[in-house]
Amino acid sequence: MIQSASLLESWTQENNQLASGCKDGQNEPNREHNLFRQRRWSSDFHKLLRKIQGIPPHLDRAQLELSVVYNTCVCFTAQSQFDEAELLLTQTAQRLLQIAGDDPGTSDPSVLWRTALKSVTGTALHRRVLSLLCLQWGVWLAKSRLTAVQDFQEEMSLLEAQSGAVWNDCRAETKEKISNIPILVLDPRRLVDLLKICTAIVQGAERLTEGWSVLSALQAASASPAPRALIAYTHLLSGSCLAHMNRPQMALQCYRKALETDPRCVCALYQSALIYSRLENSQAEIQALRILHSMLLLPSTTEPAMAAGRLLSPSLFLCSQSLSSLLSVPSALSVLHSLALKCVIHSRVSEGVECYLDLLAALQSEDQHGVHAVVSTLPKLPRLYLEAGAALLMARRPADCMALCDEVIGSTLDLLPEKVLLEDPVARRVAGSGEVTEEAENGLVRLLWTAAAYLLQGHCYSQLKDWKQAVTHYTRCINLLVKVHYKDTGFSLQIPCADKDPEQGVDLCVLQRLKGLSLAGRGISFAQIDRLREALRDLQLSRQAHPEGVSARRWYGEVLWRLDRKQEAAACWEQTWSNPIPSLSEALPVYAQELQSGPLLDSAELHQKLQELGPT
Amino acid sequence: MMEGRCAAESWAEFGLLGKSGTPLVKCGTGTDVFICTGGEEVYVFTAQEKTLRAVLQMPAAVRDVVVSHDEQLLFVACWSGVYCVNVQLLVPRASSLLVVGSVLLTLCRTDASWSLTLYQIQRTSQSDPCDLLASFSLPLVSPKVQSDAESRCVLVCVYPGNLMPASSPPHPLRSHYPLQPLLFRRLFGAEAALSKSPVVLCGLPDGRLSFLPLRIPGSRLRILHSLEQSVVFVGASAVMETDAGCAGCLIALGKQGRAVLIRAGRAGLEGGGGTRFTLGCVPGPVECACMDQSRVYYSTGSDLLMVDLWDGSSGTAGRQGDKEDEASRSNPAAFLTPISLNVSGVVALHQPTYSSAGEVQLLSLSVRGRLQSIRLPVRTQEDSLSKRPSSQVGRSVGDILSAIGDICERASVLKTIIRSKNQILKQLNQVMNISFLLSNRSESDLKPVRCRGSVRWSRLLQRDSLNLTCVLENLSPFILERGWTLSVTVLPLSCPLEAGGEASSVNYSFPFSGLGPEESVEVSLPVATAGDASFPVTVTCSLLFSLWRFLGQEEATAPLDLQSACFSLPLNTLTVDWLDALRLSDPPAPARSSSSPADLLQGFISSRQLRCRGGGQASRPEEYSARVRVSSELLRDALGLAPGSPRVSLLEWLLSEGCGGVKMERKGIKTDGSSSVICGSAPDNATVKLTAEEVNVEEKTKPLVTVEVQVKSSSVAAVCGLHHAVMRRIQTLLQKAGSSRVVPTADLRLALQQAEEQRGQVWEASSVGVSSGQTPPLLLRVYQQLRDGPLLIL
Repeated sequence: MIQSASLLESWTQENNQLASGCKDGQNEPNREHNLFRQRRWSSDFHKLLRKIQGIPPHLDRAQLELSVVYNTCVCFTAQSQFDEAELLLTQTAQRLLQIAGDDPGTSDPSVLWRTALKSVTGTALHRRVLSLLCLQWGVWLAKSRLTAVQDFQEEMSLLEAQSGAVWNDCRAETKEKISNIPILVLDPRRLVDLLKICTAIVQGAERLTEGWSVLSALQAASASPAPRALIAYTHLLSGSCLAHMNRPQMALQCYRKALETDPRCVCALYQSALIYSRLENSQAEIQALRILHSMLLLPSTTEPAMAAGRLLSPSLFLCSQSLSSLLSVPSALSVLHSLALKCVIHSRVSEGVECYLDLLAALQSEDQHGVHAVVSTLPKLPRLYLEAGAALLMARRPADCMALCDEVIGSTLDLLPEKVLLEDPVARRVAGSGEVTEEAENGLVRLLWTAAAYLLQGHCYSQLKDWKQAVTHYTRCINLLVKVHYKDTGFSLQIPCADKDPEQGVDLCVLQRLKGLSLAGRGISFAQIDRLREALRDLQLSRQAHPEGVSARRWYGEVLWRLDRKQEAAACWEQTWSNPIPSLSEALPVYAQELQSGPLLDSAELHQKLQELGPT
Repeated sequence: MMEGRCAAESWAEFGLLGKSGTPLVKCGTGTDVFICTGGEEVYVFTAQEKTLRAVLQMPAAVRDVVVSHDEQLLFVACWSGVYCVNVQLLVPRASSLLVVGSVLLTLCRTDASWSLTLYQIQRTSQSDPCDLLASFSLPLVSPKVQSDAESRCVLVCVYPGNLMPASSPPHPLRSHYPLQPLLFRRLFGAEAALSKSPVVLCGLPDGRLSFLPLRIPGSRLRILHSLEQSVVFVGASAVMETDAGCAGCLIALGKQGRAVLIRAGRAGLEGGGGTRFTLGCVPGPVECACMDQSRVYYSTGSDLLMVDLWDGSSGTAGRQGDKEDEASRSNPAAFLTPISLNVSGVVALHQPTYSSAGEVQLLSLSVRGRLQSIRLPVRTQEDSLSKRPSSQVGRSVGDILSAIGDICERASVLKTIIRSKNQILKQLNQVMNISFLLSNRSESDLKPVRCRGSVRWSRLLQRDSLNLTCVLENLSPFILERGWTLSVTVLPLSCPLEAGGEASSVNYSFPFSGLGPEESVEVSLPVATAGDASFPVTVTCSLLFSLWRFLGQEEATAPLDLQSACFSLPLNTLTVDWLDALRLSDPPAPARSSSSPADLLQGFISSRQLRCRGGGQASRPEEYSARVRVSSELLRDALGLAPGSPRVSLLEWLLSEGCGGVKMERKGIKTDGSSSVICGSAPDNATVKLTAEEVNVEEKTKPLVTVEVQVKSSSVAAVCGLHHAVMRRIQTLLQKAGSSRVVPTADLRLALQQAEEQRGQVWEASSVGVSSGQTPPLLLRVYQQLRDGPLLIL
């Protein structure tokens, strides 16, 4: 008995030494070092625990054993070793039941814990068991077993209710005889608080669509004492919930609150940008994206800063799938790209050009931060080059545009197929997807890149009023585009954007657009050098390929006018009044849309001409 | 400069190589060489002073070593992690390393995939040198098949054009190759070309060659080619004049010697995807390899070989036409002919370096742990295979001839082994056939392989003995080949009382060599000696086969465990009885013709003995007799005899006809007149008289002609034995006749009465005899009565 008592004492001392060392070492700034020390602590605690558990469980030692189990499990959890922690917890519950002489005959943790709790009710062990149950809660949460957590809702609330009294009691006891009570590495009250808010967040994310009930739970959670980052998450989730409930303005308020709570909550910013985009508030959207991008470039945001100085980081418990999808933010490069595109589309061309140039520079640089970070949503590089080229063209910097296009042409030209054979999409779908068609598509995509590059170069030359060069480049573009053949002759070419097959549909649509635009460009160039017949032919073909092309139609009218076919010209112009040149959209690549970069016809002049004609 | 031979100079010894790790030799900072012998140490060796500078002890077997571009940091991959010089743990189980710019790449195998992980090497903050950038994974082909956890992967980096990183040192980097832009575009696509991204190539132990463009957002590991054998080496060769330092050809070597050359096809020839994969083979196994501008050096473990990629028929592929290319593609074996450098045991090689004189120098690590510097002769344009010095040509021809000789010898040995194995298979087939043939039949069938027997008295060293000649006949279509043994077991049915009443068998085995169909083999063995009366004797024949026969030499050394190595197939069983063993003599004529003095003497002595023995009794010994009656009709029918004299023929038949497969060889039976009499001596030397005469039996209804055979002798044993033998034969006769005759019931009743009476007597004798000790005489009397009351066989 004396032996046992001294053993108990020495074990208690060992535990206390370890625990106090652990508490002191938590504020180490070095992350790597910290990891290493955590590993050591957990193995030390585990060793001690194995010594203690080497002898049969006994009521006298239960207090110590449960404390050491708690410490070990906290260390395991801190290192994301949830399976080990859970195993240890189950074993401990079974040992507890051995003391009590109970045998539930099952290894189901919830049954085990219920029986264990019942067996120790009213004894000194009760709060220790409660703290272990708390760790079990954490493990369930980390493993996204929300049903298990919900099953224990009752016990949890009991835990919360009792915690104040019990832990205070504990504190008093600790103060009394400090040497005999085993120290815990983490105050269970803090653990309960942390778990409560984390559970609220995870449950909120899982049931985002449920409306007001979730919202109220989240609001309640946001009032609890917790790290700023977690409070910000509750605001963020409230915002997302409101967005689901179709209250965008209220959602924006919530996002703003989240940002105010924790300025590093970039996902709130990103969500706000998405809402602005939905509200078609482009200026605000651009603003949001710009801030988001500059925040993403700060090194601190990529690191979860809330882990510092704590044994258990909240991120350990926030690993639910839907939550992480909510919290994910595209990489800085993707944000930069969408910012650039928005700027160009919403006629802030010079800003867009700057963004594009930044983007290309970032991609070329050796500093690869962010390139590999997440699955990229960036478009393919040649397309980025072409978009940047289009932006440069719109910004009246044709030389830069041509340089970019040259690069694209240089890298793709010798990879182009001799010809591309497109099958009827319906038949193709029946036949299934083979590698051959995939290869053909790749060929088609490359061909479209090269053709677009030639088209842009043509535009550049026409901007420079070098009509001959323009004609040359438009012709190159056309020559490439006619390499695409359709297998089925009955296949209608008039499908602009087939919604049946989005990939192929977009490609086909781009193909038709490029055809129309290049023919129109050549026609206009011919018109400029007074080769009106060729101009008329090209413009006519352009109208067939792309009937919506406004400038082609206007120039068609102009050429007719010059050919002295004024009535026809007038009829043609009449049509164009109804539909002005459409603004740029995001559905298609910028370079496949009418850029209004070429020579324009003054509509007032046209009106005048029409009026001249009118009386006659 | 040595006469066209390469020189291997030994620099240092590192002891035998451990098996757990990968032997490596890599050059690092300045003149430093890092050597790993497969154990836990990394040796740092200075090539200038040729001394060992440091030994780094790692916690586990070293898998790979890499030096950062600024040559400040050494990374070592162990099983437990990747270590920096200041021993920094990164990721466990990394098996290959590569440094590209400021990024460290590790390739490691997890349970289900290969994963390539990128780390940023930051040298600004000392505490935290490596940050994880990204990780890419490629699933394993089939986790079970791949036992290649130990084999290393190959990591190299290629750049488009001459765009080596600006921070790179002036001398060419190991595992970094500038690639011809056209080839680069064709292989890795427009995006990689546009971003001018370095591309990492991984050669995996499952044979896949995969690539990853580093700077393209969202890029992933993709497969370029599959060698279908463990990739040992990936390199690039810069040969064409137009390339200007860029490699126009990628090469990958597999463990078993398969090679693939990847070149760009001519522009416009095949439209877009004009990349040309030329498959080839070099004699394997490839242990390690390295390459310079156009030559690949590789070691098979036993020799170091050099392959000139652009020499010979397929060489200078850039200049020659498409036809040449087509030919080399369709005939891949033609394109790689290695030249031996006669350095054996190389397990790790470092990239070749050049001296100012144009000498190629290779740094190698041998399997015995020796660091060697190998200098190769300068090869000029004219110094091709055809223009070697004559002495060297002679030597090489000699080498080749001796090699051919060696191979011939080995081939002939292999041929003999194959032949003998075929032979054994054939023999086993025969054995199996025979086994089936013999084991499938029931006892009653006549087996296609069986024994016949005949007995003969012979006299050797004044002792008469009965010899059995066994003839083994093979009537099956199969050959009994060498290895079969005829085993004959002789088991007397009874034996004299003084031997303990327990019959002991004698075993004879006769190995024979080859017995074709319709052939027979004859063996002879003693069955009994004169005076030995333990008849009848059962002779069991069986065939034995020993599997040791097939094991050749081991037969002598291995303990012959007959139980396990033999199997035995029973043949038929022969019986030698008293009749077979009967020695005939002339009928008792008054004047015995003296055949030989010895016979006379013997006869005299035996008669004296008899007389002496019987001296106490009556002057003449008691005669015992037994009688058997067989109806003549039955004899006629069964034996098919002439109706004239059934007596003689019955006796003749009794003595001559083999019953139980044994025949007695006799010259002829002499009989006299009406009642034929045969005299002879039984094996126990008692004289025996057999008589046969016709007797008319008066039955109640009609007279019946029968033949009575009477056995008379002074020896009870002889009478019993002969009677038993006669009865056995007549039994077979009856079985042969197999008829259903009408037996008068009255006779049967009479016989039954008699039998009951005699049974009573036997019972009486035994009960009385127990008390008085009179049992034997009483029983003998009953026996006499039984035998004298002749049994009539109808």
